[in-house]
Amino acid sequence: MLRILHNTKIDFIRLWKQAAIVIVVFLIPAVVMIAMSGFNWSIEFTGGTRIQLQFQNPADVSAVRAELATAGFPNAEIATFGSPNELMIRVQDPTAVAQQDRAAGVVVTAIRAALDRRFGAGSYTVVGAEAVSAKVGDELSGQAALAVLIAFGITLIYLAWRFEWRFALATILATMHDIVATLAFMKYLNLEISLFVVGGILTVIGYSMNDKVVVFDRVRENLKKGRKLPLYDLLNQSVNETLPRTVMTGSTTLACLLALLIFGGDVIRPFAWVLTFGIIIGTFSSIYVASPILLWIERKYPRLGVDKAHISASQARAESQVEPAPRPIRGSKAPATGRR
Amino acid sequence: MTNLKYRVATIVALVLISIWALWPRTVIERVKRDGVFVYDTIQRVPLKRGLDLQGGMYLALELDESKGVVSDKEDAIQRAVKVVRNRIDEFGVAEPTVQTVGNNRIIVELPGIDDPERAEAVVQQAAHLQFMITDETNALERAMTRLDQIARDAGGPTSRGALGDTSKASQVTGLEKLFTQDSGAKGADTTKADSATSPIPPTGGPISSLLQRGEMPGEFYITQENVARAEYYFSLPQIQQAIPPGKAVKWGADTMSIGGQVYRTLYVVDSRPIITGESINDARPNTTPIDGTVVEFQLDNEGGRKFRNETRKHIQDYMAIVLDDRVMGRPPVIQGEIGVRGQITLGRRDMQQAQDLALVLRAGALPVPLKIADVRSIGASLGDDAIRQGLSAGALGIAIVILIMVVYYRFSGMLAVLGLVFYSLTTLAMLAGFGAVLTLPGIAGFVLSIGMAVDANFLIFERIREEVDRGKTIRTSIDEGFSHAWSAIVDTHVTTALTAAILYQFGTGPVRGFAVALLAGLAASMVSAIFVVRTLFLLWLNRTRGTAPLSI
Repeated sequence: MLRILHNTKIDFIRLWKQAAIVIVVFLIPAVVMIAMSGFNWSIEFTGGTRIQLQFQNPADVSAVRAELATAGFPNAEIATFGSPNELMIRVQDPTAVAQQDRAAGVVVTAIRAALDRRFGAGSYTVVGAEAVSAKVGDELSGQAALAVLIAFGITLIYLAWRFEWRFALATILATMHDIVATLAFMKYLNLEISLFVVGGILTVIGYSMNDKVVVFDRVRENLKKGRKLPLYDLLNQSVNETLPRTVMTGSTTLACLLALLIFGGDVIRPFAWVLTFGIIIGTFSSIYVASPILLWIERKYPRLGVDKAHISASQARAESQVEPAPRPIRGSKAPATGRR
Repeated sequence: MTNLKYRVATIVALVLISIWALWPRTVIERVKRDGVFVYDTIQRVPLKRGLDLQGGMYLALELDESKGVVSDKEDAIQRAVKVVRNRIDEFGVAEPTVQTVGNNRIIVELPGIDDPERAEAVVQQAAHLQFMITDETNALERAMTRLDQIARDAGGPTSRGALGDTSKASQVTGLEKLFTQDSGAKGADTTKADSATSPIPPTGGPISSLLQRGEMPGEFYITQENVARAEYYFSLPQIQQAIPPGKAVKWGADTMSIGGQVYRTLYVVDSRPIITGESINDARPNTTPIDGTVVEFQLDNEGGRKFRNETRKHIQDYMAIVLDDRVMGRPPVIQGEIGVRGQITLGRRDMQQAQDLALVLRAGALPVPLKIADVRSIGASLGDDAIRQGLSAGALGIAIVILIMVVYYRFSGMLAVLGLVFYSLTTLAMLAGFGAVLTLPGIAGFVLSIGMAVDANFLIFERIREEVDRGKTIRTSIDEGFSHAWSAIVDTHVTTALTAAILYQFGTGPVRGFAVALLAGLAASMVSAIFVVRTLFLLWLNRTRGTAPLSI
């Protein structure tokens, strides 16, 4: 039978310090950039107008820009979209948004009037238009933040009930890390944060928790077997045992996302990017964020029945890193020559 | 063994139900033909497409408080919804939706609309309420010969192709036959509504054959199938000119059902209203011991004086309550002189109707200032693109998943693929069953949850491999594989479902569509992995009697 990563005995968790450095190096520039220039919010959140136009002839972007400036929208963003005949106009500056307070459609009407004057009424068609007043946007961002917090709260309670609070807390903290990392990724790519992309981030949360639950489920099972193995080794063993599943699920989901990236079109593509990154980071953080956090919590608040000495001993070993060869971390129940 | 039979029977039943839920069925829908809206029966798969897939317009309306604070926001929004719903036909779209979100916003979705500015105007217009006396003089009957003649000259919508192509023409005659049979059968019906059922004197004309005399003077019934033709005739300018002076034709807002047949009402009324909505100060539903459910309304002093004069002249006449050109409910009879305070007695009818009627009166009395907070229009071409993209992505995604499963797990992988077929079928059936609207984010959610659905299979299969490694028999390995993977599958599905449920609760529009698809997918995925794939394994074990090696 075809098997990948079968019976591995990789000491994943030993590398957690290196992993932490990678994470910090990845996050810091993004945090600085976000602090300086904020996110690229879509008009759904800030209020504003977006119009997609199709011209009969390749569109003259500079002429459109000049005409919109005289019409009172000097800050309009204009870009071709797909073919040279299609234009995307985005008006998002505060003065224009303020105009939309009375009726969201006014900017659309004004832009169309300006373009009619310059190019003639029949020379283009409005393929799609979207206009949002500022108040709607404010409510939306509030709702999204609230949704994430409530999702965390409920998942924390569920996992605390199904596992125990240490696992739940490690899962939530690692998932928070995933959100921050995904936001950093979006900042690097300058992806627009639309409502749809927020849905993508929330899906990443679901997927990431999914992955941590699978690993912790194995830890829970191995704990029940009652062998006096240090938690450090137990975590490594569980990660290794679930590794084939982790890789298979990850690659299959990524394959589905690849399909969305290729065929999804411009609406779905940012969403697919967010999920692609989120699924990679979610799998990574199960091993390198959730597990070290669990070890750390366990050291601070040891559970009854687990030998504290074992944990500190294994930590000491991990930090000294004197053993080049991987230690046997698998139970001896399975025959060493289990391959067939 | 019996256990296995029940399992197979359950799966077969679920598959059959799903296929039935997705089977194309005949629905009556308003469709646009040659610029005229007609009700037509069409065959389609019962999965509705969202605005982003078929093109259309989305409007979010809010109370405009810039010119003064609205005291009772909830009532104002309810009145506005009533008014906007009542105008649905003016939008000229097939299936508009009007709904409230929270307590200060109305969402209007107009699929397939191509004139955003007109739609905005229609939505923002103030409501217009009139009380009009129904015609007592048989005005329409007397003019009918002429009307029929004009209609004959103008030609019916059928001859112009407005009711569809020639293949549809036979369908129309079929419906007419049905109509005549029904009116015959209705003579036996106990409803006094049409005991006469005497077709109007000049029968057989294009218009007169559509109308049946109603219960009260000036009232006519038209079967639902014939409404489109009647609307067409009465919208012709020649016909409108030929309607006797001082009279007007107004459609009833609701449909009514008599003896299983659905009718719309048409009223001939005096074109001069006795009072209009501006004279109404308030209207409230109430229950009284003597009259049962009533709507009490109050007029201002001038309106009261006018109303007293008019009602004195029209005792025992019927008064139609007309909101934006549509007659709301059945016209009540005027029983005596009414001044500033009046009461419409609904008798034993339920409170809901009284509330509704009071809302109509208040809507006409107190215009609701609305502003457009959010407007979105999506061209039909964008929708076509989106569908093509969604289908391609879905096809490629499924192909990749099948390839991975079969290459990696061989025979067991094929069982998993069968499970996936079951998964896809039931997910789509659930979406159709809940009346969920298929949107682009919904398709994305579906494609993504295929990836997550196979996760459960990976968990199980890897577990079975481990058990086989430990030297257990095939049958035990399969049993243990499923029972050990169970807890992980349940926990992962529940955590994801919790997130999806919260998305649904707090999200709007695209996020909601995504959450619904994900939730349906998760439910189907659980059943598929834990039940269907396991049953397939059991069937295989039963065939081979546990002797063959397992290809996994």
